[in-house]
Amino acid sequence: MSVDAIRDRLLANVGVGVAVVRTETLEVVFDNPAFGEWFPAPEGAEGATLAHRLPELDIEAMRASVADWVPYHAEVGVKRKRRRLNIDITVWAAAAEEGRLLVIEAANVTRIRELEAMIDSYAKMVERNTREIEREKDRAERLLLNIMPRDAYDEFKTYGVVTPQHYPEVSVVFLDFVGFTKFAADNDPTVTLGELNDIFTAFDRITEQFGCERIKTIGDAYLAVSGMPASNPDHARCIARCATRYLKYIERRNMSHQHQWRARVGLATGAAVGSVVGLQRYVYDVFGPAVNMASRLQTLAEPMQILAHGSMREDLVQEFMLKPAGTREIRGYGPEVLIEIAGATL
Amino acid sequence: MASIYEKYGGFASINRAVLAFYEKVLDSDVIGDRFENVRMDRLIDHQTKFLASLLGGPASSSPEHLRQVHHPLRLTEEEFAEMAMLLRETLEEHGFAEPDVATVIDIVEGHRRNILPPAGAAE
Repeated sequence: MSVDAIRDRLLANVGVGVAVVRTETLEVVFDNPAFGEWFPAPEGAEGATLAHRLPELDIEAMRASVADWVPYHAEVGVKRKRRRLNIDITVWAAAAEEGRLLVIEAANVTRIRELEAMIDSYAKMVERNTREIEREKDRAERLLLNIMPRDAYDEFKTYGVVTPQHYPEVSVVFLDFVGFTKFAADNDPTVTLGELNDIFTAFDRITEQFGCERIKTIGDAYLAVSGMPASNPDHARCIARCATRYLKYIERRNMSHQHQWRARVGLATGAAVGSVVGLQRYVYDVFGPAVNMASRLQTLAEPMQILAHGSMREDLVQEFMLKPAGTREIRGYGPEVLIEIAGATL
Repeated sequence: MASIYEKYGGFASINRAVLAFYEKVLDSDVIGDRFENVRMDRLIDHQTKFLASLLGGPASSSPEHLRQVHHPLRLTEEEFAEMAMLLRETLEEHGFAEPDVATVIDIVEGHRRNILPPAGAAE
């Protein structure tokens, strides 16, 4: 087989459409089978020009481009039994003995466009899922932040555990409602829960406002600390501010609500340990003498009274009205000097 | 438990089945005409989600959504059977094991009522 024959056969069988067109008249001088299949001459149109066979092509733009010897590119669609093929067209100018010619190459890029569409579709699917996972993560994080302080949560997230931390100087407030058991027995549980939710949500705001941490609620009891996990030299004052605000809130709330709530409050300062307890059901909790003392003092307090350990006097005297509350026997501790916080002086 | 989607290598492998299925659907003389005037990118998007959701990949369709999309088309039993058959063919040709093919076809069959128009509502 001669080189010419090989070249002819190659041109006839290659998957790329090739045509040669006269620049001036757009008369098709030559086209290979692939080109003829994609862009057949319309029936009955003898001597159809390129404009007839490729009506989607912008002839003016093409002429302008090749006039400067810049190849012209365009993508056209060809309908083939339910499908639209995407054909990439390249036109470049060539000078021949019989005048100027245009060489037209047509490549079928349908599969590339289909793959692009699929990647697009998949990418959107994955992006949407990623956004959903992010939202889910946020929800989980918010939930965990409800049951442990942020520092503990960050440690938990990084290491999967929270190591118990010892805090030598923290202040604790313990608040408990008077007559709660009776209220709960007399009312529908949803009413009880609604009341508690309302009050504790307000307490949470107060606690946050003074840089303290709500540790937990146990039924109708509310436990918050100051000076942990982040240390705070003002822990005694901050916790006393919370305590006085809790009571003020209850007084104000009682004015507009049917049930008259009254609470006992105990404050103490001392050491505490904070940690996450449990493997499956994480609970961040605090333990230590300050917690026990605050809890005991709360039980000794009169309704709407804040009892604090005498050791807190120096820290509180500048900001609060303090009254002596005598020396009382505290279970597990012995006789202790107590004070009452009667309100803020500032 | 890993989904069929993960078992066969996720999107990296599934994409071939998606394109093959897309070709089969267009070539089918029973259902091909239904897709004739659908834009290529829309149809590919549809088939990608269709297979991903059937195989347990990152897409899902609620029965309500399926009904809303399919009921107005008033598809026939024959068309439904053709689609299931082409899907079976595609999965088999792409190396899916018979139990997995059966699982997928079961899911499709489970959606029969969401895809075919409700009985008694014939025109």
